[in-house]
Amino acid sequence: MKTAILGMALAMLSFSACNSGIKDTGDTGKAIDTGQTRSTTKTVEALSPTKRIVTEYLSLKNALTKDDDKTAAQTGKSLVEAISVVNKASLSTKQSKVFTDIADDAKEHAEHIGANAGNIKHQREHFEALSQEIYDLVKAGGSPSQKLYYDNCPMYNNGKGGNWLSETKEIQNPYLGIGMPTCGSIKEELN
Amino acid sequence: MVRVRHGLLVLAGVLVFIQFIRPARNISMKDYPADISRLYPMERKVQGILRTSCYDCHSNNTNYPWYAQIQPSGWWLASHIKKGKEELNFNEFGSYSFRRQQSKLKAISNTIKDGTMPISSYTLIHKNARLSKAEQDLILNWIEETKDNLLKN
Repeated sequence: MKTAILGMALAMLSFSACNSGIKDTGDTGKAIDTGQTRSTTKTVEALSPTKRIVTEYLSLKNALTKDDDKTAAQTGKSLVEAISVVNKASLSTKQSKVFTDIADDAKEHAEHIGANAGNIKHQREHFEALSQEIYDLVKAGGSPSQKLYYDNCPMYNNGKGGNWLSETKEIQNPYLGIGMPTCGSIKEELN
Repeated sequence: MVRVRHGLLVLAGVLVFIQFIRPARNISMKDYPADISRLYPMERKVQGILRTSCYDCHSNNTNYPWYAQIQPSGWWLASHIKKGKEELNFNEFGSYSFRRQQSKLKAISNTIKDGTMPISSYTLIHKNARLSKAEQDLILNWIEETKDNLLKN
């Protein structure tokens, strides 16, 4: 009988933790983190708050060109962080507007890429949408004093095509990876 | 032998006990001005399909099946609904930024094409939530039209 009581008590303890229901608070998920950067952030970001975003994005792109889903997932997670810590006050008006416009969605794409190691097809779907957003950010003046190429692969997604940003002039295709590394062409050069 | 019987008794006790721990229900009587059907014109048919096949996990109201009354399956369901709503809530669609709406429409389209949505654990029991080829096409076409209209504005 003692064992029974003990068992019940234990069960009580362990299950009371599970009793977290869903409450309809009427608001959707989390608000966008405006990411008040702490004073410890590197001075690099003071120069260009979006530089880290572009850098992480390029690492992600490079992982995808190598069909490396694990590294892609890691860079996806770093990208989430890079987006979170941007201090909007440090952006120009034009940039700030674009950033506000893309932040929550870009973050979500990066989260999905981070959570989908082992499913590179899905990572690439999110990368395609993300590329469009990062392009818009760079166009709004977020180009971190580095030359970037806006490339297009016409074959991706059953001929619908996909774009990406690259730091190299030669084509390295993140959508088809090792299978067809040089498929694609430069659409635009961004300075 | 005695031990085994004790063990079974405890297990039975635990099973009875956990029935009393019920997750909060995803039911709300509010009006949803931001619901996707109010934002974007859709045929009644399309709306019907979304409600039957998606709204249980992707809105603020769930039609609970009988097994939700039994724990631990009720908990499992609750966690699914929570995740589903975080990912996409049709009742709140209008509160998403323009780009997020675009992305969500694209994602709905992709998951339907892949057959990853509605999830198989759900359609196993909710047979009426399965999408026929014709229903899939209806939704996919509606998404294409809506996305094009969004871009024109």
